[in-house]
Amino acid sequence: MPVTAFHAPSSLADALALLAAGGRPVAGGTDLVVELAAAPDGGPPGALVSLHRLAELRSVAVEDGDLVMGAGVTVATLREHPLVREHAPVLAQAADRFAGPQVRNAATLGGNLCHASPAADLAPPLLVLDAVVVLAGGEGGEAERRVPVDAFFVGPRRTARLPGELLTAVRVPLRGGRRASFQKGGTRPSMDISVVSVAASAELRDGVLRHARIALGAVGPTPLRSPAAEAVLEGAPATAATVAAAARAVLRDARPIDDVRASAAYRLHLLGVLAQRVIRDVIDR
Amino acid sequence: MSESTRPRGAVGAPIPKLDAPERVTGRIRYIHEIGLPRMLHGAVLRAEVPHARIVRVDTSRALSLPGVRAVLTGADVPLVPFGHGRDNTALKADFVRCIRDEVAAVAADTEEIAREACRRIRVEYEPLPAIFDPEEAARPGALRVWPEREDNLAFNYHYDHGDVAAGEAESDAVVEGTYRLHYVTHACLGTSGIVAAFDSDGRLTLHSVTQVPFLYRRDMSRIVGVPPEHIRVIQAAIGGGFGSKLDIYPYEPIAIFLARATGRPVRILFDRGEEFRDSPTRQPAIVHLRSGARRDGTLTFRTARLLLDNGAHTSWGATTPFVMMQTFSSLYRVPHAAFDAEVVYTHNPYAGSFRGYGNLQATFPIEVQLDELAESLGIDPLELRLRNAQVPGEVTGQGLVFQSCGLAECLRTAAAASGWEEKRRAYAQAGEGPLRRGIGMASMVHTGGGAKIYHSDGCGTVLTVDDFGSVTLVTGATEIGQGSETVLAQIAAEELGIPVDRFTVVNSDTQVKPWDVGVHASRTTFIAGNAARMAANKARRKLLDAAAEQLGVPAGDLEIRDGDVVRASDGKVLTDVGRVVRKLHFATRYDVVTTTAYYEPPSAMQDPGFKGNVSPTYSFATHVVEVEVDVETGVIRPLRVTAVHDAGRVINPLGALGQVEGGVAMGLGYAMTEDLVIREGRVLNGSFRDYKLFTAPEMPEVDVRWVETADPDGPFGAKGIGEAPAICIAPAVVNAVYQATGRRFRSLPLRPERVALELARGEGEE
Ligand SMILES: Cc1cc2nc3c(=O)[nH]c(=O)nc-3n(C[C@H](O)[C@H](O)[C@H](O)COP(=O)(O)OP(=O)(O)OC[C@H]3O[C@@H](n4cnc5c(N)ncnc54)[C@H](O)[C@@H]3O)c2cc1C
Repeated sequence: MPVTAFHAPSSLADALALLAAGGRPVAGGTDLVVELAAAPDGGPPGALVSLHRLAELRSVAVEDGDLVMGAGVTVATLREHPLVREHAPVLAQAADRFAGPQVRNAATLGGNLCHASPAADLAPPLLVLDAVVVLAGGEGGEAERRVPVDAFFVGPRRTARLPGELLTAVRVPLRGGRRASFQKGGTRPSMDISVVSVAASAELRDGVLRHARIALGAVGPTPLRSPAAEAVLEGAPATAATVAAAARAVLRDARPIDDVRASAAYRLHLLGVLAQRVIRDVIDR
Repeated sequence: MSESTRPRGAVGAPIPKLDAPERVTGRIRYIHEIGLPRMLHGAVLRAEVPHARIVRVDTSRALSLPGVRAVLTGADVPLVPFGHGRDNTALKADFVRCIRDEVAAVAADTEEIAREACRRIRVEYEPLPAIFDPEEAARPGALRVWPEREDNLAFNYHYDHGDVAAGEAESDAVVEGTYRLHYVTHACLGTSGIVAAFDSDGRLTLHSVTQVPFLYRRDMSRIVGVPPEHIRVIQAAIGGGFGSKLDIYPYEPIAIFLARATGRPVRILFDRGEEFRDSPTRQPAIVHLRSGARRDGTLTFRTARLLLDNGAHTSWGATTPFVMMQTFSSLYRVPHAAFDAEVVYTHNPYAGSFRGYGNLQATFPIEVQLDELAESLGIDPLELRLRNAQVPGEVTGQGLVFQSCGLAECLRTAAAASGWEEKRRAYAQAGEGPLRRGIGMASMVHTGGGAKIYHSDGCGTVLTVDDFGSVTLVTGATEIGQGSETVLAQIAAEELGIPVDRFTVVNSDTQVKPWDVGVHASRTTFIAGNAARMAANKARRKLLDAAAEQLGVPAGDLEIRDGDVVRASDGKVLTDVGRVVRKLHFATRYDVVTTTAYYEPPSAMQDPGFKGNVSPTYSFATHVVEVEVDVETGVIRPLRVTAVHDAGRVINPLGALGQVEGGVAMGLGYAMTEDLVIREGRVLNGSFRDYKLFTAPEMPEVDVRWVETADPDGPFGAKGIGEAPAICIAPAVVNAVYQATGRRFRSLPLRPERVALELARGEGEE
């Protein structure tokens, strides 16, 4: 995209106005700049609207029974913030395995979700936490609308975000007794794009799993939940047999591809291994 | 050199590199920072197809772009063939034979315009069938990359000593296997580049990153038609070389042709994509190895058959068998050995030289197979290696003379420091759960003082002690980031008795420095070090003679210490060297203290059968690697590397440590993560995102130890260390993984995917 202008609005209203005029948001730029460099002439020209001066996008708070994280919160903050560690430790876990320190300091929550890579590492944890994204702008002006993360990813690199909309926050409903876990695999332990990622969450009552969620990254066109595995886990006893059955069921919902990073065969193999590990971790936690 | 090697301050001191402050403050001038008045920027258009006939090149849309000053195609420049196989040209006029092939080039006011102009050039290709698999290319009747040749065989090498059949007959155990080594790239942080400028007399100045400035000048002369004496090569600070800058690559003469066409200086810089795609790789290899031993572990024979992919053009990769055969013949005592290598053309990109120069590819099969042999004989891998390790003074079947040799001590030290016996025993019991541990070892031998492949393997030095007691050391040797400046200053400082902080090392301009072969073959410490020491010795004698005359005492009673002339008997300071030189200028002799030296190592060019002592000395090492393998995900975590090196006397322990740690990182990358994926001749992962270097968080603890044999010919006993540390990591990893998993991998890299899928497949060898 040939860049015609760079705006750095200091209020949300100004930002929304610039986006309404066709501007494109840029947060940490760790996806966008890579994209611009790879195809400097790709797509129609446009203005960039930087979000870095919008303090309201950078807060982390508990409100109305939700953990509310601004879209501009960095991955480094997710990794360390006490509220995240307390209420959504699985997100901190994913943040810990994310890139390296320099990228974590720049990369944001909103950017990770809006770029909508199938391998976005924050997506599986948010999917298993029943998170909801908050969007403002576009047709609705400054009014907000909420979309479950589950319905946000609609295709490869495509989201339910409408033109002119800004993702302002992500809300995670607090739920006592929920346990969750995340794992990813790649060629190298650090600084690597996930070849596969998996998150799981559930409540464990009287040895039985409830509200089970399992979500997968890099094995389909979008980050996705695994209905087959969730069905196996829901109401099932927390046993090794359940773990094994769910890890098998996960494979039914995965549609991995072969690429230079990994073969589909390895992605399926690794998915089975990591799924077992996260479910076991949820049970043992 | 029988003098005592007692330290006089400089040698053995762990001092930081002299240019460290310049580097870490960003002041050093890399090629990217060399700008000349009126300079233009060049860019190169390369083939998008691995094999095609060039039907038409339409440059009109490039020429019409404002800011474009010249566009050249194969029709516009002399096509003088160059390279080891004389099969490359600066631009290609009729055919392209690999995706790197240079089809056109542009000089423009900015780099952006030059690149945009390249994109506007329309090349019409007639696609032709191509051949990418070296095994297929080696078959009779295969599609020929060069139709004018009989077949695809570019080079072949045969070496043997002893009688392999007799060796085999004496064997109680024989093992064999096929080993495959992959493409990796140097991944230099500083990308390649050149600035070419003609002066008004037609003399050419090249700001270059070459590792071989004098050979470069000679060879470039032929390619561009400028007399060699009219070419001046000024070496910019090199941002990583590792062998990748040992040859001339087409972009360099292209810059010269563009400079000639425009009458202005031209700079060409690679971007990161070009650095991955268009610079040479490590030589890939398929090695079939067979070896045997007696029941007691004594090796009986070794035979190796190798097939190397030459790519479409020849660079130094094709000559790596020359180094490989030294390892096949001489890594451990092998009474009978035979080696055959074929190098075949394909339409793949071509390989160059890369730290180790084939030795990683040779050491890997040998050291992996040794473990297999040990297992089949029921002998511990350490014991098997010790039984066959050479001793000082030994002459190998190939005629390599190991006048200093710490191999056995490297093995013993590495075993003791790594806790080999206990860990070997502990890890023999397979653990529970997915995490399994193993420990493995491997050793190496490598030239420690160059390789006599030209009639001289020497280096010149000019040394001046000035009138304030400072020293200027002008060396033919090239600094490539390895710290040679510092080591050479330390050697000369030790000899002279003048401290290192009074030294300036000059080493980057062929108009100033005396001749040298170049930086390769781990030769600089040994050869340039000896040259520096010789020049320093002459200067010391001259200073002492002058001081004796000035002071009226016998020269034999004097010494230079810390820049002062002292009475040897009690260390009393009588004068200082600056004063001695000033008096020499003004009073006594009207003279200067400038000395020259040329050191020629006592090595030999090999005979046509590749026999002879190619290097004056050899370095040895043993690496022990301890790993933890997640057998389900396939992730291998190296826990600890013990690296024990015989580099003779260590001149600078800090610099040497850096060499070993860097080599270990490079070797671990080769073993586990780095993989330049080339399919149908195209590089698929040409970025740091998808080409996985081993990064800091993955690095294990590296315990570096020295076996300080004093080499009789080395400067103060030193030998080379540059290449050695990268050489024997990969087989040690594979051997450790074997102990951890029971699976013996015979090809690299051990990426998690391969490890996991192989282990999941269950029984059987790869
Ligand atoms: C070296 C490296 C390593 C990486 N490692 C990982 C990793 O381990 N795991 C991983 O998941 N990702 C990784 N990434 C990808 C990237 O860092 C993340 O996706 C990151 O979260 C993107 O955030 P950003 O703020 O940089 O987004 P930007 O690049 O600024 O934006 C990304 C996209 O989202 C849009 N956008 C940004 N913010 C908003 C908003 N508030 N509302 C609407 N649209 C918005 C932009 O217009 C753009 O299209 C890596 C990237 C690099 C360069």
